[in-house]
Amino acid sequence: MTGIGAEARPISIGSGTAPPSEHRLPFRRRLRRRMPAIASWALVGFALVLLFGPVLMLALFSFNDSSIISLPWEGFTTRWYEEAWNNQQARDAIVNSLFVAALVTAGSLVLGTLAAWGLTRLRFRGRAALAGLHGSVLVVPWLIIGVAGLIFFSEIGVALSLTTVGLMQLVVTFPLVVAIVSAGLVRFPRSIEEAAVDLGASQGQMIRYVVLPQIAPSLAAAGIFAFAWSFNNFEISFFTGGFEQTFPVWVFSILRQSENLPMVNAVSTVIALAQILAVIGAWQLIKRLSRRRGSQDDAIQELMGAVR
Amino acid sequence: MESASLPLGHRRSAGSRFDRLLRPLAFLSAPTLLLGVLFLTPMVVMLVIALNHGVLSGQSGFTLSNFTDAISDPLYREVAWTTFQIATIAMLIQLLIAVPLAYVLAFKVGRWEIPLLLFLVLADELNPMVRIYAWRMLLGREGLINEGLMSIGLIDAPIDALLFSKFSVIVVLSTSYLTYTVIPIYAAMKAVDRNLFEAARDLGAGWWTTSRRVLLPLIAPGIFVALLLVYIPLFTDFASPTLVGGTSGYMLGQVVNDLVLETGDLNAGAAMSLLMLAASALFAVIAYRLARIRQLES
Repeated sequence: MTGIGAEARPISIGSGTAPPSEHRLPFRRRLRRRMPAIASWALVGFALVLLFGPVLMLALFSFNDSSIISLPWEGFTTRWYEEAWNNQQARDAIVNSLFVAALVTAGSLVLGTLAAWGLTRLRFRGRAALAGLHGSVLVVPWLIIGVAGLIFFSEIGVALSLTTVGLMQLVVTFPLVVAIVSAGLVRFPRSIEEAAVDLGASQGQMIRYVVLPQIAPSLAAAGIFAFAWSFNNFEISFFTGGFEQTFPVWVFSILRQSENLPMVNAVSTVIALAQILAVIGAWQLIKRLSRRRGSQDDAIQELMGAVR
Repeated sequence: MESASLPLGHRRSAGSRFDRLLRPLAFLSAPTLLLGVLFLTPMVVMLVIALNHGVLSGQSGFTLSNFTDAISDPLYREVAWTTFQIATIAMLIQLLIAVPLAYVLAFKVGRWEIPLLLFLVLADELNPMVRIYAWRMLLGREGLINEGLMSIGLIDAPIDALLFSKFSVIVVLSTSYLTYTVIPIYAAMKAVDRNLFEAARDLGAGWWTTSRRVLLPLIAPGIFVALLLVYIPLFTDFASPTLVGGTSGYMLGQVVNDLVLETGDLNAGAAMSLLMLAASALFAVIAYRLARIRQLES
């Protein structure tokens, strides 16, 4: 815990040098004065190591020239990447996941935006109940939705496949888009829409020139989160999936059968790298889209919208 | 907030009941239909299955025995207790990290605030299965932590308890949902008026008193949101205990999986799922109420 009342003005790191008088202070007083900053950064470092350390080690050992993942370091190799590239199951799993995630993202954006507009801009009886229904999907654990889907499909005699996986993922993912886009719609005043209509804009023009630019950052954030939710989704793909495995299901089935394999390290490293690039790309896009609206704060609001 | 004006477009075709009905239908029929068919119906089907005798039992008709069996079985009670322990400890660890971390992010890191938030978002985007895999690599008997400790001579034999134990499940779960614990608390922190800290200090409060009496009540809603978002997935998690839990970290999610996919007893599996759903719902309602009440008070 850092001292809240321990300093007059919180020192922000990197914002400048310490006041000159500090050099004359005895070392212990200097240390004492610096303690809150040191503790803050120690905590940040600890959290980053917890979150990213394991994945970094995994990436490092994808280059180790040894068929067991352990010390000592046996030398640099890229043969695990070659092996992964030539592994048909791995390729199928990744292609399946990308395919499902692309369709689920597109479907979620369409359905989610429609529902968000209906729930925030229209008034009708039963609106609160419908909003509650969309929200409740986000709280029900995926394990239970997956099991319910499995039972449902087996009762009505539908064979499990990538289609059933995609449909069930769509069900749990589009309410997320509803939440993010609704938050974006609520933030911007509808008087602007009314003004556009009063000035003679048609419904189509109003949506094209007034609404879309305003909710574009929300749509971008919703898109990246929907894709990640679908691509990373394990429980639903596991219970409602057939023979064709998605990437998380493939890793799960390997881990359940065997020890860790360096080839999986290589695949995981590539996936992690792609996800890092995706987040950076999404951030740049959202920043650009929300520039006309204001600060970086707006953009970070969009990114965090999904979490709240 | 609903404004006093009529819905858009409504004033042009003023009073048209047709319009009033058609517009919500155009926007909401497809999403609602999807939820109705693939969310609500499966839940109802699951309830019906849970209320039926299993095919294997040879009986027919409705029964509550699937539920009563699940509740009265001492084995399941033990698993439920383990699950509660693991989920609660993992939640507490996350809060212990998240509350100070959110404070540091909100007030102490200056221009690094946004990059660090992006790191948190990134941590959530990383594939959970990759993360579990990475932890297994580190914690195993021949894993990097054991090998590392042995090579520098700190231990003579590998510590077996690192993997396939409650410990490893707690480690994996604590790091899986940290993003969702930190960000609601961070958002609550950002809303706090920092003059309050100075006021508290001027009135002679130390940092402990300030944290407990000033800061904590103000960020309580954020903590309840974090509980709502994280505790339910924690206690229904099934992949982590399966892959790193061994026999001592056996959790309720695995019971459901084993009943449905291993034993093939859909009726018992459905009943167990619904019991877990009921527990989640109860927890969600309590956390939501607390969050709302706190928000109203402050």
